[in-house]
Amino acid sequence: MAKSKLKQIAIYGKGGIGKSTTTSNISAALVDAGYKVMQFGCDPKSDSTNTLRGGDYIPSVLDLLHENSRVDAHDAIFRGFGGVYCVEAGGPQPGVGCAGRGIIAAVQLLKQQDIFDELDLDYVIFDVLGDVVCGGFAVPIREGIAEHVFTISSADFMAIYAANNLFRGIQTYSNKGGALLGGVIANSINTDFQREILDDFVARTRTQVVEYVPRSLTVTQAELQGKTTIEAAPRSEQARIYRRLAQRIAEHTESTVPAPLSPQDLRSWSAGWADQLIEIERKSQHLAVAS
Amino acid sequence: MPINLKIPEAETREQRLGTITQWEGSAAQLARDSAFSYGCAKGCVTGGPEGGRRLCEQNSPFAQASMCAETIAVTNATIIQDSVVIQHSPIGCAASQSFTCRYYRDLAAQRGWALEDPQSLCSNLTERDMVFGGIAKLEQAIREAWDRHHPRVIFVATSCASGIIGDDVDGAAQRLEAEIGVPVVTLHCEGFKSKHWSSGWDVIEHGILRRLVKTERRNRRQDLVNVIHLGGPDVFTPLLAPLGLRVNLVMGGSSLDRLAAMSEAAATVTMCFVLSYLATGLEQEYGVPELKAPLPYGLAATDAWLRDIARATGREDRVETVIASERARIAPELARLRDRLSGKKGFVAAGAAFAHGLVADLRELGVTVDSAYSFHHDPSTDSGDPRQDSLTYLVETWGDIPHFTVSPDQHFQAHAALKRSKPDFVICRHSGTMAVLAARLGIPVLPIFYSNDGLGYEGLLTIGRAILRVLPRQRFYQDVASHSQFPYQPWWRDQTNPYALSADSSVA
Ligand SMILES: Nc1ncnc2c1ncn2[C@@H]1O[C@H](COP(=O)(O)OP(=O)(O)OP(=O)(O)O)[C@@H](O)[C@H]1O
Ligand code: SF4
Ligand SMILES: [Mg+2]
Repeated sequence: MAKSKLKQIAIYGKGGIGKSTTTSNISAALVDAGYKVMQFGCDPKSDSTNTLRGGDYIPSVLDLLHENSRVDAHDAIFRGFGGVYCVEAGGPQPGVGCAGRGIIAAVQLLKQQDIFDELDLDYVIFDVLGDVVCGGFAVPIREGIAEHVFTISSADFMAIYAANNLFRGIQTYSNKGGALLGGVIANSINTDFQREILDDFVARTRTQVVEYVPRSLTVTQAELQGKTTIEAAPRSEQARIYRRLAQRIAEHTESTVPAPLSPQDLRSWSAGWADQLIEIERKSQHLAVAS
Repeated sequence: MPINLKIPEAETREQRLGTITQWEGSAAQLARDSAFSYGCAKGCVTGGPEGGRRLCEQNSPFAQASMCAETIAVTNATIIQDSVVIQHSPIGCAASQSFTCRYYRDLAAQRGWALEDPQSLCSNLTERDMVFGGIAKLEQAIREAWDRHHPRVIFVATSCASGIIGDDVDGAAQRLEAEIGVPVVTLHCEGFKSKHWSSGWDVIEHGILRRLVKTERRNRRQDLVNVIHLGGPDVFTPLLAPLGLRVNLVMGGSSLDRLAAMSEAAATVTMCFVLSYLATGLEQEYGVPELKAPLPYGLAATDAWLRDIARATGREDRVETVIASERARIAPELARLRDRLSGKKGFVAAGAAFAHGLVADLRELGVTVDSAYSFHHDPSTDSGDPRQDSLTYLVETWGDIPHFTVSPDQHFQAHAALKRSKPDFVICRHSGTMAVLAARLGIPVLPIFYSNDGLGYEGLLTIGRAILRVLPRQRFYQDVASHSQFPYQPWWRDQTNPYALSADSSVA
C-alpha cells in the first residue's frame, strides 16, 4: 500500500470553549492545503460541522439508525467547504437514552463499513463533547482510533480545570495503549497574562501549547454567515493563525502522557494566580480612579 | 461489502445481509424478493417487476421466544477445546452455560475427548461496576482464568451491560494477553445489537478469523477440506475419503489446531450457509476457496456438491465413480423408504438454509411438504454469490412451498402453522417450541439436535428411517394430545394464519 497513513485526531475541551469552531477551522485549513479530511462530530447537538456547510445541520448517523435497522454509512457523509467530509454522530434528546452508547454505535458503524480507508482520508478529526463523562465519550481516544488528542482551553480556571480532568482521562487510556496528548490549543488568548497562566499550566502538567488563538470578531462574523474564518476571511490575521495551527497539527508526530495536577495542587495553583489577578485588577482600578 | 476483520466487532446480520425473523407467504415469493437475484432496493416497495425489494420484517405482536446472540457466541466459544470463556456480564447472561455444559459433555463423548466440564467464568457485573466501570473486575477474571486453568486461549464475551457503559474490553484483553502470553480474544456480542441470535455465529467466527487461524500458510494441504458444520457426527469423511480427501471438521466443537489449520486447506464447504461468514472470510483473507454449490440435501444436490469439491481439489477423475457407487449403494433402501413414505405429509421447522435442505430431503423421499417454518431468513450471504441462494435452488428444483413462515420459533405462531398444515409428522431442529407443540397437538415429531443427520446420500436413509420410527407412535402422541390443553382463547386455537394479528397481514 503506497498511500499515506491516515492520521486520526481527537479534540476535547470544556463545553462552549470553542471546540467546534477551532476544529472546523483546522479542517478547512487542511482541505485548503490539499488534504482529504473528515470532521466527525461526537456530540448529540450535532452542530460540529455547521460552519463547514453554510450553517446547515446534516442528518446524523444516529438519526439514520433511529429510522432504519440497516444503515449505509455513506448516507451519513456530507461534503462541505473545499470537499471536506462532514459526519455528525448525533445522539438522543437531552435527558433520555444514552449518548455515550450513541458515540460507540456511530463510530463502530463507520469503522465497520471501512469508510476511512475507502475515502482514502489523510485526517479524521473527532470533535468530542465537553467532558469524558462515561466510557462512550472515551471511544475516540481508545486504542485503534485517534492517536493524538488535543485539548482546547482558555485561560479561565473552569476551562483549565476541565483540561486537567481530561488529562486524567487521557492518562488512564494512554497507559492502556490509547491516544496520547499532543498539547493544548489555547483559545481566546488576548493578553500576555492569559498566555502566562496557560504557559505555567502546561509546564506543570508536562505538555505544550500548540497555538495561541486570540478571541476575534472575525470568527463571530464568519459564524454569523455560517462559515469558518478560513472560508469567510481567508486573508485575515485570524485565518493565518488557524492555518498555522492546522499545519502544526499536521506536522505533529510525538505525543506524550500528561501529568495532571492533583485536586489540591490545582486548587493552590489557581489560588496563586488568582492573587496575582486581583493585584492586577486593583492596580487597573487604581489607575482608573486616578485618571 | 467484504468482511471487515480490521476491527474487533463483527457487523450484524441485519446490517450485512438484511436478515429478518418475521415473514409469511410462499417460498417462491420470498426467494424472488430476496437480494440474491435482483439486488436489494433501498425502500420497502417493490424493486423491479420480477421482485427484488428490501425485505422488511412483517409487523407482528409476536417477536419473543428467540434467544440472545450472546448465547450463541458464548456457547460456541466454550465448546472449543482448551479454552476458557469469560462472560463480562451480569450473572444472568451466564444462565445459558448450564446448557453448554451438557452440550460439551455430549460432544466430548461423541468425539472421544476427556469427559469433563468446559471452563467458563463470569465477571458478575453489579450496580457498582455499572457506575464505576467493570474493567478491573474483568482483568481479575482473566488472571483468575489463567491461574486456574492455564488454557491455550481465553475468550472475553461482552454483554449489554459492558457495552452500554463502554468498558474498554479490547484494551484490557491486549494488556492481559501481553501479561499471560496466550491469546485473549474478544467477542462483541451485546444482546441489544442484533435481534437475530444467528449474529452470534458471526461474532465467534469473526474472533476465530482474526485471532485463531494461522496467518502464514506455509504448507498448503491439497487433500484437506474444511467442513464448517453446526455440530454432530462426522458424516463427511465417509463421503470424501473415497476421493482421497481429509476432513477438517470445524465449529460445533473444535480443537484449536483444527481452527488454526483452516487457512492451509484446499477448500471450505459450509453445511449451513448461516455459518458461511467463516468460509467467506477464509477465502477473502487466506485465499482458501469457499465452495458455493447448493448444500448436499437430496441426490442431485449431493452429486453437484461432490463434483464441486472434486473440481476445486483436482479429483474430477474419481468423483463419478464415487457418485455412482454411492447412489447404487443406497438405491434399494431408498426405494423401500420412498415406497413407505409416499403420500405422507411432513412439516419442516429449522433455521434458514437448514430448513431448505430438510424440505429437499423430504421431497426426495416422496413426502409431501406444503408448509415450512424457518427461524429466520437471510436475503443474502456474505459472498453474495447467487449459487448460495438455497431457497431459490429449492423452489427451482423441488417446486414452491405455498406456506412458508419465517418466525423466531414463536409458540403461538407455531401452533397456527401446524393447525394449517395438519401434517402426518413434524421434523424440526432444536427440541424446544416446535417438538413440544407438535406432540401436544398429537403429531409425531422427529427433533434433530445434531444437524448433520440429513446430509448426503446416507442422510436420506438416516432421515427416512427416523421418520419411519416416529410415524407408528401415533397412538402415543394422541394420548399426549388428549391430556394437553392450550392456554389460548378458542379463536386463536382455531387460527391457521400465524400472522393473523399483523396489521399488514395480507394472507387470507
Ligand atoms: N477564537 C474565537 N474568537 C471569537 N469567538 C470564538 C472563538 N472561539 C470560539 N468562539 C465562539 O464561541 C462560541 C462557542 O464556540 P463553539 O461552538 O466552537 O464551542 P464548543 O466548545 O464546540 O461548544 P460545545 O461544547 O457547546 O460544543 C461560538 O459562538 C464561537 O463563535
Ligand atoms: S440480551 Fe444482553 S443481558 Fe440478556 S443475555 Fe443477552 S447479553 Fe445478556
Ligand atoms: Mg461543539
